[in-house]
Amino acid sequence: MKDPRRLSQFLVLMFCIGLLVNGCTSSANSRYFGKTVAPKDNILRYVSGSEPETLDPHISSGQPEARIYMAIYEGLVEYGPKDMQPIPAIAKSWEISSNVDEFVFHLRDNAKWSDGTAITANDFVYSFRRGFAADTASSSTELGFFIKYAEAFNGGQVFVKKGDSFLLAKDYGGEEQKPSTGIGPDTDFHKFVQSPIRLTLDGDEKKRAKQIDADPKLKAAVAGAEFVPVKAEDIGVEAIDNYTLRVTLRQPAPFFIGLLAHQFFRLVPKQAIDKWGKEWTRKEHIVTCGAFRIKEIRPYDALILEKDPNYWDAANVHLDGIAFYPVEDNATILNLYKGGSVDAFLNHTVLTSWIEQVRAFKDEYMNFPENSTAYYSMNVTRPPFNDPKVRKAFAMAVDNDALSNFRKITKPLYDLTPTGIFPEYDKARAKVSEEIRKERNIAPDVWAKYGKFDAERARKTLTEAGFPVQKSGDGWACPTFPTDKVSLMFNTNENNRSIAEFVQAQWRQNLGITVPLKSQEFKTFLKDRHEVQYDGLAQSLWSGDYMDPYTFVGLHYGYPNNGDAGFNDPKYNKMLDDANAELDPAKRYEMLARAEFYLMEQQPSIPLTINATNWMKKPYVKGMYPNPGTLLPWKFVYIEQDPAKWDKDVENVMAESDPQVEKQLQELTATQKTAK
Amino acid sequence: MLSFIIRRLLIIIPMALLVVTLTWALVRIAPGNFYSAEKKLPSAVEANIRKKYGLDKPWYTQYGMMMSNIVRGDFGDSLKYQGQSVNEIIRRHLPYSAVIGLLGYLLALAIGLTAGTVAALKQNSGFDYGSMSLAMLGLSVPNFVLGPILVLVFSFWLYLLPPGRWGGVSGIILPVITLSAIYAAYIARLTRAGMLEVMRSDYIRTARAKGLDEKTVLLRHAIRGGLIPVLSFTGPALAALLAGTVVVEKVFAIPGLGNIFIQAVLNRDEPLILGVVAFLSILIMIFNLIVDIAYGFLDPRIRYE
Repeated sequence: MKDPRRLSQFLVLMFCIGLLVNGCTSSANSRYFGKTVAPKDNILRYVSGSEPETLDPHISSGQPEARIYMAIYEGLVEYGPKDMQPIPAIAKSWEISSNVDEFVFHLRDNAKWSDGTAITANDFVYSFRRGFAADTASSSTELGFFIKYAEAFNGGQVFVKKGDSFLLAKDYGGEEQKPSTGIGPDTDFHKFVQSPIRLTLDGDEKKRAKQIDADPKLKAAVAGAEFVPVKAEDIGVEAIDNYTLRVTLRQPAPFFIGLLAHQFFRLVPKQAIDKWGKEWTRKEHIVTCGAFRIKEIRPYDALILEKDPNYWDAANVHLDGIAFYPVEDNATILNLYKGGSVDAFLNHTVLTSWIEQVRAFKDEYMNFPENSTAYYSMNVTRPPFNDPKVRKAFAMAVDNDALSNFRKITKPLYDLTPTGIFPEYDKARAKVSEEIRKERNIAPDVWAKYGKFDAERARKTLTEAGFPVQKSGDGWACPTFPTDKVSLMFNTNENNRSIAEFVQAQWRQNLGITVPLKSQEFKTFLKDRHEVQYDGLAQSLWSGDYMDPYTFVGLHYGYPNNGDAGFNDPKYNKMLDDANAELDPAKRYEMLARAEFYLMEQQPSIPLTINATNWMKKPYVKGMYPNPGTLLPWKFVYIEQDPAKWDKDVENVMAESDPQVEKQLQELTATQKTAK
Repeated sequence: MLSFIIRRLLIIIPMALLVVTLTWALVRIAPGNFYSAEKKLPSAVEANIRKKYGLDKPWYTQYGMMMSNIVRGDFGDSLKYQGQSVNEIIRRHLPYSAVIGLLGYLLALAIGLTAGTVAALKQNSGFDYGSMSLAMLGLSVPNFVLGPILVLVFSFWLYLLPPGRWGGVSGIILPVITLSAIYAAYIARLTRAGMLEVMRSDYIRTARAKGLDEKTVLLRHAIRGGLIPVLSFTGPALAALLAGTVVVEKVFAIPGLGNIFIQAVLNRDEPLILGVVAFLSILIMIFNLIVDIAYGFLDPRIRYE
């Protein structure tokens, strides 16, 4: 093409063709975001985020992995598709002791591994013990520490045996367990596990010596005593028979059943692990127990699953397979979705700059509240934030509603626990708030603003704390506040920066203080925050581990804790302990609400927003719901070929009933009345 | 010549070990661990993890064990991706990067050399201005901009090519073009400059004076000299291309080595970082050596003792 005229003619021609093709396709599909054709092979293509670390559910605690594990492993219970409340899985029903510290699970007798062998209660005993074993080194193991002696076994601790009996925890400052009613047959193991909690000491000799030296009473008692290591067999898990499993806790935990859907409690195959060791998760060795089994593993490219005919409920699995694509770049994920290469993708994915465009596709965009909160922790161990008044002032000076409007899809939050996720807890909170209002005799209109954005009160409170805020030109100034001693730390990310800049502007506007911003690489940031080695404020995002408000209210419980504020308050710890010992659920929620109210008055953190699910699915993908954790039980998902039956206006998807899903759910929960 | 090559090859080993040591030190200095996550671990749980992966031993023991394994060519298992050895990961993901890199390299060479040579021969012509402006554009548009533009045009307007993921010839086209653009532009400009300089040099004048026809002058004499600056650029460029280009792999979701490497750093996956770094440094040193050898063939003035 030597002639420049011919080159330009060619380019113009190409451009015209482009416009023409573009015009045709977009007019045909303008209702949907990009190419929308239901896959004919009945295989769902799902972008799962980062490359899965491993297919061993005990090892990875990540959410992208959790979604994959939900397809290939099953546990006693499964997350409900809409509300994430536990529904029967391998356990077809269960009983709970009146103390809520012992559970008996009745397993189905037709559950099988992908290699065809039967699943029995012994598989659960094995899986639980492996999860707590020190050499498994599971990072989610803490979730199971409610099970009696699980923590002691995991930490390599020892019982103290003197003569024929063991020293008991309650005699040395430990909590006394209320006598349990116990359920099921009273076996020898049951007698042991029901006996009062034994004292456990550190397994390391040096550390143990220190522990003993610190307590004179203990020192006298251990003289001549024998130290017996806590064994896997001591953990409160027992196979009563092949299809009956009993789990005993060290303390009442009303939310325990909900916890059991977590990946940590899913079954792992003894037969494969014994035989292949750390290589058991390879394609040629792996044995699974979920609705799907592994067909192909292509790291960083695709994990292909196929329906497992051995699965006990295979008749109710609608997809023939799932292809999980590990893609991390959000723009690339959206490109793949728009180009029709994938059918749905994980949460938190639509970039803020795309949201306006994408949310217009009402049949596809999932904007629902999540059980996660964004907040700023304040280092309560260093001045000036060691003063609750300063913390209050900074909290009151942030307009969360404005922040949410700016963020477009998040919802404002002024407490630690997100609203709209736990309806019963929301009621308890409202009730407790009203009670406190009456106790303090405050007018309802004044009370409504309590704890919310209030620039005037924020300035007053900061002035009271010894940092006077003065009028300065059009705005405010607080010259005595040590801005050189504080910063707002966040991990490097565009969204985090925009939030930080917004909040920084609010403080400048309302308090006359410019807090310096400090952006850090993620792991560097985590270290500083976890060790509470930061000045001022640090960004935090907490996703609930289970569907109970305690996963949020307990953030600052004990020390060290996950609140990362350096906060440690015995009164608050006691309030939580008391609440969890309460057996009446409504009353327990009220006690938790009181503890949360008390905590927010101490204000170790500034709540900002409730996150949004923020993901998309093509309208032909049905039975997939924007639940609060984006944890999708895959056997409910199906691909609808008939465009007339595609999802429309997904804003109502949670309220609308899909007869197929409802029927499936009803059949599953028929065996367990308490599950919804 | 042979002794030169042997000397250079021998030096590669200690150099690579030095690079690995420095990288190891840097990884150790960086805060955080492969297991650190939003949620804090109880200290007993953290101790279990550290023990399992040998992180509880003193640093010199860990360094010694690592080095003795590496000398034997074993980088151990990835910390993050359990049950997968580093060697296996590199072996598995290198081909993706290599295919795209090599094709991108060849495309860049084809476009760059042709455009550069023609532009030099027809200096100040329309083609010269046109191609060099295009090359300037190619140099100035970063690949994270070019990639999405190509996706927009070819995937969303024309619906001709997939917007990403590995699979089939159609999936390779856009990444290869994106990858080659900047190199093609660079090579074109280097070739043009090199050729212009050579075409005016004395030995070309001599060749013409001998009565050689223009074609022989160009192909037998000019090109060899004109390509030397291109060569010193393209040698290391090939090493970099083969080993993976992070941005293009990210934009098109290609499971190449570049992608793996960045993720390994963010994950603090020490064995994987060290493995990739050692592999890359050896690769780059070998390509530099090849370039040095090629000089000798292209330019008779360069001799190796």
